[in-house]
Amino acid sequence: MSRYILPLVPEARSSTPDELEALATFGRYAGPATLILSSLAEGAKHGYALTKDIEGFAGVRLAPGTLYEALSRLERQGLIEPLESHDRRRPYQLTATGATVLRAHLDAQRRVADVGLRRLAGRSELA
Amino acid sequence: MSDAGPAAARRAERLLRCYPAGWRERYGEEFAELLMDDIGERPRSWVRTADVVRSGTLARLAATGLAGQTLEPERQLRAGLAWLGAATTAFLALGVAIWSELTIGWQWSPPATPATRVAMLLMSAAILIFAILALLAAIPIAWSLGTAVARGRERRLLAPLALAMAAAAAFTLGSIHFGHGWPGTGGHQWVERGLVPGDVARFCWAATLWVTSYWAHPGALSSFPATEIGWMVVSPLTLAAMAVGATMILRRTPLSPRVLRYESRLGAAAVLAMAVFLAGAGSWVISGGPAPRGLFRVGAIDSVGVVALAAELMLAVRALQRALPAAARHRP
Repeated sequence: MSRYILPLVPEARSSTPDELEALATFGRYAGPATLILSSLAEGAKHGYALTKDIEGFAGVRLAPGTLYEALSRLERQGLIEPLESHDRRRPYQLTATGATVLRAHLDAQRRVADVGLRRLAGRSELA
Repeated sequence: MSDAGPAAARRAERLLRCYPAGWRERYGEEFAELLMDDIGERPRSWVRTADVVRSGTLARLAATGLAGQTLEPERQLRAGLAWLGAATTAFLALGVAIWSELTIGWQWSPPATPATRVAMLLMSAAILIFAILALLAAIPIAWSLGTAVARGRERRLLAPLALAMAAAAAFTLGSIHFGHGWPGTGGHQWVERGLVPGDVARFCWAATLWVTSYWAHPGALSSFPATEIGWMVVSPLTLAAMAVGATMILRRTPLSPRVLRYESRLGAAAVLAMAVFLAGAGSWVISGGPAPRGLFRVGAIDSVGVVALAAELMLAVRALQRALPAAARHRP
């Protein structure tokens, strides 16, 4: 699945090798990754704050294991970075690469969503 | 610290044990906080428990190199090769047990069905390829190991080297001794008439004597000589000790990226040889008949054995899938 994401993303043509690698491995884990990066786009958050924010804007509650599986993967890919821990809770923030990758991924999703919605509208007019 | 209380802290601590030590060291404190917050909000949740167990298992597999991409390329490559070696050893232990029975059968009478004959040829060719690959794989490792030991460096190699050598000596001597001990494996006039030399056939038979359905029939097993039962217990232990020693040597011997890439290519060839062997064993189990004189009769243990061989092949493929990309990334 991930190998089909690159052609959909215009920004990928001018991306650095690290960003390209991050993009190439993003699609397979797009669900939790998109939710986490979108949440962190607002500002740094720790695990529980991320869970509550995502539940609030997406109606999805990421279980703790799934959340930290995605956080460790995103950190390894350089899309997020940890900050100093506060009272044992460690906040994470989006990196510049993470912002680029998130923007590219959301643009691609929006294009797909626009096409799907347009076609659905045409279908209801026919009916 | 979360306000959830000591009970929540204890449960979080228990859940945290699902993860390997390295993961706990990096994420343990913050993850425990998240768990306590989550437990405080939802005291009972089997979904949370299942999710943590699943995620922890994946993290443990990643720590051994079988899942994820958490290891450095060299560690990932060495871990993949070690898993591949373990899967190949397990495959050979079972595969040789099946093959040696048939080779000894062929010494008494050639197989009457073409399917059994083709299966035997395929399995024998695969065994020969395994022997060549093992030799090719051992040469550069033995060279690097010898160099490191001779220079007095890498003292941590001495213990696994001693373990592997002692186990190999016990395994070889025991297999030779017990191979000569049973008339059916060499004490008859047609011993050199089979597909492979009689010495090889009886050595392999004795080496895999422990792979038998007699374990499920203690009454019949008790009629065996005590020394033979002792060997059936000791031989798999010596094999396991050899595998452990070899794995530790592989992990600790200084090996250049070039040698590691070479070893991973040999690993790919070993997986192909496993597939050839499995095709032979599978075709014998599916098409092989009892003729002649029941020497090539397919038993229930053989069918189970072929299924186990397929599982070991899948594990080897998985290990190779982890090793090859790491080999491509591992450059000086």
